[in-house]
Amino acid sequence: MTKHDSNQPAAEAPIIIATDVDKIYPNGCHALKAVSTTVARGEVVVILGPSGSGKSTFLRTLNQLEVINGGSILIDGVDMYSKGTNINQLREQVGMVFQNFNLFPHKTALENVMLAPLKVSGREPKEVEEHARDLMYKVGMDQRMQNYPSHLSGGQQQRVAIARALAMKPKIMLFDEPTSALDPEMVGEVLDVMKSLAAEGMTMVVVTHEMGFAREVADRVLFMEEGALLVEDNPDDFFDHPSHPRLKQFLSKIF
Amino acid sequence: MHVNQKNWLWNGVFIAIILGLCASVYLAGKRIDYSWNWDRVVPFIINSDPLEIVAEVDGTLEFNEQGQPQIYPYDGGDPQLIDPTLALSLSEGDMVYAGDVLASIEQTRIGPLLEGLLVTIEISIISLLFAVVIGLMVGLMRVSVNPALRNLAITYIEVIRGTPLLVQIFIVYFFLGTVLELERFTAGVVALSVFTAAYVAEIIRAGIQSIPSGQMEAARSLGMSYPKAMIYVILPQAFKRTLPPMAGQFINLIKDSSLVSVIAITDLTKAGREVISGNFAPFEVWFTVALLYLVLTSALSWAIQRLERRLAASD
Repeated sequence: MTKHDSNQPAAEAPIIIATDVDKIYPNGCHALKAVSTTVARGEVVVILGPSGSGKSTFLRTLNQLEVINGGSILIDGVDMYSKGTNINQLREQVGMVFQNFNLFPHKTALENVMLAPLKVSGREPKEVEEHARDLMYKVGMDQRMQNYPSHLSGGQQQRVAIARALAMKPKIMLFDEPTSALDPEMVGEVLDVMKSLAAEGMTMVVVTHEMGFAREVADRVLFMEEGALLVEDNPDDFFDHPSHPRLKQFLSKIF
Repeated sequence: MHVNQKNWLWNGVFIAIILGLCASVYLAGKRIDYSWNWDRVVPFIINSDPLEIVAEVDGTLEFNEQGQPQIYPYDGGDPQLIDPTLALSLSEGDMVYAGDVLASIEQTRIGPLLEGLLVTIEISIISLLFAVVIGLMVGLMRVSVNPALRNLAITYIEVIRGTPLLVQIFIVYFFLGTVLELERFTAGVVALSVFTAAYVAEIIRAGIQSIPSGQMEAARSLGMSYPKAMIYVILPQAFKRTLPPMAGQFINLIKDSSLVSVIAITDLTKAGREVISGNFAPFEVWFTVALLYLVLTSALSWAIQRLERRLAASD
């Protein structure tokens, strides 16, 4: 089915295994300090933390938009940094949704969704278009498929961006503050799409400030500060019985 | 309403200033001791002088067995054959001398100035194509993370932009032309395209760098390789943004092509110089040459503006 069938691990093995991930920027900023965690198949993990805590950086290491300086990352049993790994093939399995949507402005909404499957996967154009239309329907954008991104609202653009990432049939979806650039009245429509995705069993790693979403949808919540992973807990204990003093401080500022 | 009235006023001012300038140029032309003679320029654009068939030898006009007119030379050499379809102004047995007009044909040919214009168009189009291809490659090298490619591109751009085009044309023609045995037209194309490509490369670099980095990240996160992301995502957007400066560069290319006249390519400028040396109407000819360049550059800038408007669909 996929390119990695030969060394497919047992279904119980975590789909993401990050071990002692270190990231140091050329300017000397130590963005990630020995971050280790795993994400199970179908799990929804939310990462919280103050701004500059490294949560977005960590998310971006999971599809190698940031190259790490130490440690290792395994995606579905494949070491991202071993010599034989084709990073483009790996990225096809890890969809990403950005804070600023990053839709391609010269393509219509539907063309945005179809571009990568056509040019990368080499699938049949007819099949790709059918799949794209299904996805647009799923994110509630089937009425605006022929619009250019500049003619769509932020919430609509972000829903197209989710459809675009799903078009590659990824095993994992990464969300980098998907609602932070939206007007408040549009946050709900994007979160609804993410909730239905979670309900379908998609593996999701979400960096967000939406505490309600974290509490309602997350299987596990991570708390990061200054590049270190401080707390990993289920949402109930995370919010109602915070153990770590830094987490208590963080939550007290929010609620 | 109020604004509209003011616009009318200022448009009127604009027209008045232009008319004033034209009038002063006209008066200045009157004051100098120069006899303006615009109709002398016309034959150099469209030549409607009849083509004359002249006798090549001294002899008599006679018809041979097939009824074809011929001139039998007095000195007994080979007869000069004449096309029988021509309406001859002589009859059989007439004596003719070398240089006599035997017949004239009505015709309209393009004059040397238009011929020069065609050469200018040809050299500009060929150079433009090469300039875009080379410029695109150098521009992509310029934004590459590979230091060898990047530094090669920077060196190329700096060397070409730092030396005059006229000098480059001489170097290409006299040095490269000798080493590689280039024809003068080829040498002109090489010099123009290499020169323009350096500017095109900088325009393309600026265009690529003006695209937000999120576009490349989004394309790569979908599994596209760097070249695919460039081809399908970055370059189409950069192309749109680079059109206005690119139009300026292409117009420069057309104007710069006038410099190839120094290596004796008969482009519009060289044709102008040749015409003047024959008819002594320098003012009229130079004004005409300038007008022909203006027609060419205006057409190009109009075409690119249309393209820009078509690409604006996604804005």
